[in-house]
Amino acid sequence: MAETSQIKKRKWLGPIWNLGPLSTFMFIFFIIPVGIFVIYSFWSVRNYDIVRNWNVDNYIKVFTSPVYLKLIFRSIGIGFGTAVLAVIFVYPLAYTMAFKFIKYRDLILFILTISLFSNYLVRIYAWRSILSASGLVSWIMMSLGLASEPQFYLLYSSWAVILVLMNVYIPYATLPIYSALLNVEKDIIDAAGDLGARPLRVFREITLPLSMPGVTVAFLFIFLLATGDFVTPELVGGKNGMMIGSSIATQFGLVMNWPLGSALVVSTVLVFVALIAMLVVAGRIFKSLKKSGRMGTS
Amino acid sequence: MGQIVFFQGITKRFGEVVALREINLGVEQGEFLSLLGPSGCGKTTLLRSCAGIETPDAGRIYLEGKDVTDYPAYKRHVNMVFQRWALFPHKTVAENIAFGLMLKKVSQVEINRQVRNTLELVKMEGYEDRFPKQLSGGQAQRVALARAIIMQPKVLLLDEPLGSLDLKLRKEMQIELINIHKRLGTTFIYVTHDQEEALTMSNRVVLMNQGTIIQDGTPSEVYQKPKSVFVAQFIGEGIFFKGKVTSIEGTRCQVDTGNCLLHGTASSGMELLKEVTVCIRPERVRINCVPDARGENQIEGQIVNTIFKGPAVHYQLQITGGQIITVQQNLEQDIPLYTSQSILNLSWPAESGIVLAN
Repeated sequence: MAETSQIKKRKWLGPIWNLGPLSTFMFIFFIIPVGIFVIYSFWSVRNYDIVRNWNVDNYIKVFTSPVYLKLIFRSIGIGFGTAVLAVIFVYPLAYTMAFKFIKYRDLILFILTISLFSNYLVRIYAWRSILSASGLVSWIMMSLGLASEPQFYLLYSSWAVILVLMNVYIPYATLPIYSALLNVEKDIIDAAGDLGARPLRVFREITLPLSMPGVTVAFLFIFLLATGDFVTPELVGGKNGMMIGSSIATQFGLVMNWPLGSALVVSTVLVFVALIAMLVVAGRIFKSLKKSGRMGTS
Repeated sequence: MGQIVFFQGITKRFGEVVALREINLGVEQGEFLSLLGPSGCGKTTLLRSCAGIETPDAGRIYLEGKDVTDYPAYKRHVNMVFQRWALFPHKTVAENIAFGLMLKKVSQVEINRQVRNTLELVKMEGYEDRFPKQLSGGQAQRVALARAIIMQPKVLLLDEPLGSLDLKLRKEMQIELINIHKRLGTTFIYVTHDQEEALTMSNRVVLMNQGTIIQDGTPSEVYQKPKSVFVAQFIGEGIFFKGKVTSIEGTRCQVDTGNCLLHGTASSGMELLKEVTVCIRPERVRINCVPDARGENQIEGQIVNTIFKGPAVHYQLQITGGQIITVQQNLEQDIPLYTSQSILNLSWPAESGIVLAN
């Protein structure tokens, strides 16, 4: 008996040991800082000093001010747009790498990785020089006679932010989609064709659904990273492309209002989580409706 | 042309490797034809070019007399059971089987009816809502089969479908496939590297090696009348002696192995002093402890190993000259086994010695 209980204990301990390092790390570097944010968000600031009087003024400010909510939603919108566009742009590339240019897939992968080596800021500044009124695009438009004066609207817009964010994050989107596509067995694709599916149908019925896990990972990756980015909007976004990240940074830096900054962080996370939850629920409902619809006809 | 499939001069290269060399082969309506050969002989490539998954470099493929060489896979009325089954992992068993009919825009009611019938045929009722990863190898195999036969193909192509099953299950599935073939009457083209499987299941065996057809005939033809040493060695067991032809008398000939003179039968084209191999199937050899006058061939050997197989016992004998051969004794009655080291006399008639040119 004693022996078996010993074994049982060890069995139970095994996973704990395995999870130990990561959970310790996450606890110290994620749970505690987030907890501190949450606590801070219920305090306030007087004369650049933090006052520990528990209140919800910061949240009232965030949710009643026309600026912050707008910034939160715009950030999520820009993050979402970036993620959607990046996936749309990357998917054909990953597909080609996995199924068509098999000879050159390593080369393409290498080129994508190289772009990660160049500094993030350098790339943003490069985009500034391309998009600015005296920049490349404007100059080309003028030399082609498409425009008669420098184009100011190119830079400092939501579109400029999305463009640059896409450029920054595309390598991160390629890998998950590419590896998901590599996992789709050639025989399964052949089997669908053998059963009478034309190439487009094979893609819709087989290849796309089987690569969806990779697409989801890529999408969430970019969605999260892009929504939280604040350097890009600062440098190419201007007034119209401002995102919540910048104002959070301002609260923590320039204004020294940590409680309001923390409330902004917590609110952004909450809105974000609420939206994702709504998406998931909607997806579930859609799926079950589809299923019951199919059942109904049988 | 009664032939449902006709391969005309099919050649296929993969880079430097020639997978198929001008294959000509006609498949009769309703046949169970096995493409048999060692791995890399081109049998799978031939099957895949019939399905339209592989495109031959030269030659034409006719299906019911119609040239389908340039048809994509989705336009051909043939279906394939893949080696590793290739079930759609994100679809249930029922959805997998219904896939082809769904594409044909068959009504849902009709699809459900046919899926039910097909599941019954392959004995998988009640598994409709399982996903492929919840199935065992044998079950996945049946679903893959159901997915193909529900399409009522003109020809069903099977690419070593039983290759990854264990022996017992494989034997069961062999019998079931034979029954399904009988019931449907569909033409089956079956690829395998297992000679026993080919002999058991098919009514025609096409033996391939290095991209060409070596022999084509019924299972008993290829077993009893092999046309080359390769066929004799690849199909079934055999005792082989190398030697030179010393006399010819009609189809009879005498072969000198250096240690003994053997009498055998040759098909045709034998010449004196030709280097040949004599092949004897083990079940044709009579075993005795004293010389037996009935067979024209008599040799002696000393037992080095006795291998008990259940219905039969195999003796490994060392014969004059040092060669080790294996003979088989069927245990029809309670006969005593010969003990190790004892000397046995082997005899067989001249008709049982197949003389093949090297």
